[in-house]
Amino acid sequence: MTTLVTRIVSRGLLAPAFMVAFAIMIKGYVDTGDGFAAGCIAALAVLLQYVAFGPDVVERTLPVRYAPGAVAMGLAISLVVTFWPVVIGRSILTHAPLPDQHAIHFGALELLTAMAFDVGVFLVVLGFSVSTIRLIAGLGQGRSSR
Amino acid sequence: MTVTGDPAIVLLIWVLLAPLLALGAGVVRPRWAARGGVVGAAVAFLLAIRTVGGPASEIRLPWAPSWGIEATLRFDGLASLYALLATGIGLAVLIYASAYMPIHLHHEHKPERDGVRFWVLMTSFMAAMVWLAAAQDLLVLFVAWDVTAVASYFLIGFDSEKPAARRAALMALFVTGVSAIGILIGAVMLRTIYGSLEIGVLAERVQPSAWTTVALALIAIGALAKSAQVPFHFWLPRAMAAPTPVSSYLHSAAMVAAGVYLLARVYPLLAAAPDVREALVVIGFLSMMVGGLLALGADEFKRLLAYSTIAQYGYVVVMLGLGGKYGIAGSALYVLAHALGKCGLFLTAGAATEATGEKALSKVGGLGASQPVLAVASGLCAATLAAFPLTIGFFKDEVFFEAAHHQGRLVTALAVLAAASTFGYIARFWTGIFLGAPKQGAHALPRRLVLPILALGAIAVVGGVKVGPFAAIASAAGQASSPGLKPLTLAYHLEASPANLMAVAAWGLGIAVFLAARHGRAALDAFAALGKRFGPEHGYIRVLGGANRLSDVIHDFEVHDLRSRMAALLLPAGVLVALAVLATPNENAWSVGVMSMADLPLVLAMIAAAIVGLAATIPRDHLLIGLLLSGVGYSLTIVYALTGAPDVALVAVLVETLFSLLFIGMLAAMPPRLLDRAAGAVSTDIRRRRDVGIGVISGILGFVVCWGALSRPAAVESAAEEQIAMVKAAHAKDVVTAILADFRGLDTMGEITVIGIALIGLLALLRRRPAR
Repeated sequence: MTTLVTRIVSRGLLAPAFMVAFAIMIKGYVDTGDGFAAGCIAALAVLLQYVAFGPDVVERTLPVRYAPGAVAMGLAISLVVTFWPVVIGRSILTHAPLPDQHAIHFGALELLTAMAFDVGVFLVVLGFSVSTIRLIAGLGQGRSSR
Repeated sequence: MTVTGDPAIVLLIWVLLAPLLALGAGVVRPRWAARGGVVGAAVAFLLAIRTVGGPASEIRLPWAPSWGIEATLRFDGLASLYALLATGIGLAVLIYASAYMPIHLHHEHKPERDGVRFWVLMTSFMAAMVWLAAAQDLLVLFVAWDVTAVASYFLIGFDSEKPAARRAALMALFVTGVSAIGILIGAVMLRTIYGSLEIGVLAERVQPSAWTTVALALIAIGALAKSAQVPFHFWLPRAMAAPTPVSSYLHSAAMVAAGVYLLARVYPLLAAAPDVREALVVIGFLSMMVGGLLALGADEFKRLLAYSTIAQYGYVVVMLGLGGKYGIAGSALYVLAHALGKCGLFLTAGAATEATGEKALSKVGGLGASQPVLAVASGLCAATLAAFPLTIGFFKDEVFFEAAHHQGRLVTALAVLAAASTFGYIARFWTGIFLGAPKQGAHALPRRLVLPILALGAIAVVGGVKVGPFAAIASAAGQASSPGLKPLTLAYHLEASPANLMAVAAWGLGIAVFLAARHGRAALDAFAALGKRFGPEHGYIRVLGGANRLSDVIHDFEVHDLRSRMAALLLPAGVLVALAVLATPNENAWSVGVMSMADLPLVLAMIAAAIVGLAATIPRDHLLIGLLLSGVGYSLTIVYALTGAPDVALVAVLVETLFSLLFIGMLAAMPPRLLDRAAGAVSTDIRRRRDVGIGVISGILGFVVCWGALSRPAAVESAAEEQIAMVKAAHAKDVVTAILADFRGLDTMGEITVIGIALIGLLALLRRRPAR
């Protein structure tokens, strides 16, 4: 079905693709890209696995069945970031640190709650895309087996 | 956040935890959900008792501070009264249900697990009522109001496999939900006119005017629909499809009581709308008459009680309309006494059905011999509703008569007549079940099906003997509605006062009504049939049917074929755009700027996009069309990249790739036969011309709009510049991410929520089902 080259390349690309996605997400506040783009990149890497190996292998080797769970978790994270400020008496989606406060540095990186929000977006996009890929792959399978 | 006062806030938080308690217990073991629910209600009841008479403690939560909207909750007398009812009656009902629900589930052949839902919903219902009771601004009130509607929807439709239960649940949700929108509109109108949603503040500012009357009328309509007053009364008898404990709670302390609660809560505002108050009196009397006549003719226990509820909330509505000390504080006392009696009678109906297996008065009789305790307990509840002396019900009628007899002969006569009919149908209910010759066998009842009724009856008698504390609660509630109201002082006076004379007349007439109802069944049945044929329920069904048909027609047109659907989108969009173009002043628009060599790559990318777009109209093979369309997307990506929007370009290229691949995947999943047929389909000449015409027109208009917009780019820049200036304060360097996650973060939150919901839809539609 697929050539050896496709398989080797797609297998080899999986981890770096996730790395790139992670980097794009983390650097979202400094450079081009954000959680949404990162989610798409990661989803494309997973999609490549489906193209190269077929749904059965991917289902066995990657934890794709948790994709809807990732959506729920991403939504939960973003919701908490959105509404937590209300609990401590600020208005919705007030990110910490406040404009005049100092951010905690992790190397050259500034840690912001906006990043946690972006992680939520990343999980939602990745989970949604992977779930859709799974569903469509499942459709195709249902037809070929009939 | 400012918090003052203890038991109130504990109660507000506890009622939110009670459903979780029931759920948690139910997850461990389904049987324990009942204990969780009962414990939740019991603790809530104790807390509610502690709020009585305490200082009116207030809780303020900022909601939308920039709009000056705060959630305000305060336990004043009115809040305490309804919180007491919601938790106290709730406790009695839940104890009853702990014995009733297992039997009910067994009858319906349902697993024990299904019962957990009941307990979670009932405690949620209670929570919504407590929050509603404490609400001091129209926003919290509206939210809690809608939660009660949702909870009641699921509870009425608890036996969801029965069509009647589903229809009844939908009807209740529809009637009370749609009218609730009126409350929201009224609230927004009041805020627009007087600048506040808080009832206390509004009460100081409100002035009589046409708009105020409209706003208050909308709110009153919402309340009347909830309290099942004519002409919205038809949902209530249907709602008896619910399990008996649900009906009991709904009628006495929750759903229906919420309506008159709202009227009492906004009472200070009603002073500015005398028309609304007069309308209340008329509607209340109408409800009394309609409910009374239907109750006198009804055969099923629960149906009789449902009609009686319509009539008895009619009393309360009339009293609120009349106003004054006896009207306002009296209505609170009436609600209290009615809740005790009506809850007991509903539970009696359930117990009688449980003992005999029958549901109608014509099928039972003489249950008193085999169930003496039930007969006595239920007799006390019936006595209080029928206003016998030595029950609290006597005083509920006395305050009603006191409020009525100052209002002239007509109101006095109607009041006596209404009280007489109440006497008549309550007597019908009780004597029909417990007296006469036994028509059926009866088996013993579990103690928990009888004791709550006995407790309710006993409280009613205690209230009849020592009315002071009850009158104090009612007076406090009245003072919340109308500050400065004198407290009620109630006692038995053996004298020929107007109220006493009216009471005696009511009993006498009541006996006559009771006897007449026995022989006048034909007339009463004719009245019920007339209501069915021409009444508001008929209108409701017609409106719903019409809306359904309209929706079907639109749906059929829309899904008939894809081209029509696109046409249906493009054509109106094109027309709107054309109107906008015509309406917009067009000086300086349509100017052709200068093009430098530096713009050449951009122009080339756009030309490429246009060529690929045109090319996509030629082939018939789906795969090729898909690839060409993604070619359009990639060309536009280049445009984004060249115009200095790298973030957009990155996302565009990723999304384009993902979508193209998924599209191909979808094509692969489709049956080839279907694709071949679609590719080979020949469209008629007329249709082709139509499609081309629509495409060309909408394309040209789009072009015109883009041109017009791009000719004067200056005006739209300001928001962007403002946001770029804020980037540093947000600790960011990339403005796009700062906008997405911070400045417009709420939009992003909404969007990802939509993604989540879309996934639920996809899972429901596409998940492979087991092969048949």
